[in-house]
Parts: sequence; C-alpha cells; structure tokens
Amino acid sequence: MKIKAKMKGDIVNVKAMAKHDMTTYDQAAKKTGDRENANFITRITASVGGKLVYEVSTSQFLSKNPIFKFQFKGAASGDTIEMTWVDRKGNTVSDKAEIK
Amino acid sequence: MQRRKFLSLSGLAVAAAALAPSANAEDFRKTKPTVWTAHTVDDAVSAMYGTTAMTESGVTVTMPDVAANGGAVPVNIKSDIAAKSVALFQNANPESAVAAFTIHDNSIINYDLKIKLKSDGTPITVTAVVEGKDGKLYSGVKTLTVALGGCEG
Repeated sequence: MKIKAKMKGDIVNVKAMAKHDMTTYDQAAKKTGDRENANFITRITASVGGKLVYEVSTSQFLSKNPIFKFQFKGAASGDTIEMTWVDRKGNTVSDKAEIK
Repeated sequence: MQRRKFLSLSGLAVAAAALAPSANAEDFRKTKPTVWTAHTVDDAVSAMYGTTAMTESGVTVTMPDVAANGGAVPVNIKSDIAAKSVALFQNANPESAVAAFTIHDNSIINYDLKIKLKSDGTPITVTAVVEGKDGKLYSGVKTLTVALGGCEG
C-alpha cells in the first residue's frame, strides 16, 4: 500500500493506494465461471496512535487498485499513520507512513 | 519524583488503552450483510438505516457529468453535518452499495474514492447518505452518464 500523509494547517491530508484487482462477482463469473471467485477489499482503516481516524466498509464497486483520499484532525507532523485493509478472501495488508 | 512520574505515565497508558478500540468502530459488512446484496438504492438504504426517509441537504457529491471510463469514476463526498456514518449508493451496478464510512471524533467528511459504474447509456444516480448524530438521514445526489462501462472488465 502506498500512503502519503501531509499536514496542512491542523488538518492531515491522506492519499493512499491499495494494490488490488477488486474483482466483481460479474467479472469472476465471466473469467472463471464461478461468481464466488470474486475478491475485493471489504474494509480499510487508518489509525494514529491506536485511535481510528478513517474506517470504511467497501464493496466490489471500487476501482481496480483503489485510491482513498481523506482528511482528519488531531494529529501532528511526525506522527505515524497506520493503514490496514482486508479483502473478501481474508488477506490483510498493513502499512505505515510518517505524517509530513 | 520517580514514583510520581511512573504513576502519571501509567495513567496515560491506561487512558490510551481505553481509547484504542473506538466506541463506534463498526464493520458494516459483518453487522449489516444485507446492505451489500440489495439491488436497489431504496432497499440498500433501508437495510442500512431501517428507513428511507431523508432530507436532501447538507451533503455534496462531486463527480464529472460525463465519466470517460466507468472502471474508475472519481467521487467526492463532502458534508459538515455532525455524523455517525456516511454511505454511498448507486443505481447502475447489479448491487447498490459501494462504501460505508464510520465517522470518528477526528474524521472530516471529505472523502475521495474511485468507483466502477456499469454503463448502458442511461443516466446514473449516485446517492450519498449521511446519518447525523441527531438520528436523521441527509442525502446528496449526483446524476451522470458513463461513456465506457466498468463492470465488464
């Protein structure tokens, strides 16, 4: 996962990209004949100092290699932002970045 | 002095531990599974919130009027409402729900995503629903067309 986090005033601007095919049920059915082969990110979270600042449950309709842009307050430059996603098959990827 | 320092530090640690699992953390795919299989916006909204009564105000959905590529259509959702959650729906794909955000203390409702929209040439409606802390639902709507479909892949 690529994460960029930057302070602007007292607001943190975050841009993150997860590498994932985000296969929909239709695409899975077409390519493999079984819609149950669909796999996509179902949940992604971001936290700073153990406190959640971003949390979203997602469906198959996010784009391939989805980009998540968001803002939050209550952090300072130098803090570490930690993001985690989990997909339908249970794979999990976590990554960290320093807020600049 | 040493002891005092230790006590204050451990006090902080306890406070941090208590805060860690945020009070309103929720995985909507587990708690509300029917939202994700609903085929219409109305069905998905009522599966999510138990009602479809909402006021169309205070929520802005920004998207291009004509999206060139249905595989990755940019969406921005913005709102100043004190909210518990935000959910995004559309009426182009086989299922309606796209994403459901949980709002935390430090969250700002200014979210960008790229979504897939299946195109058959007819206008598509994208709806963002904000669940306010007052218990009411607010919505923002955007109508657009897509030149090239995203679900056929």
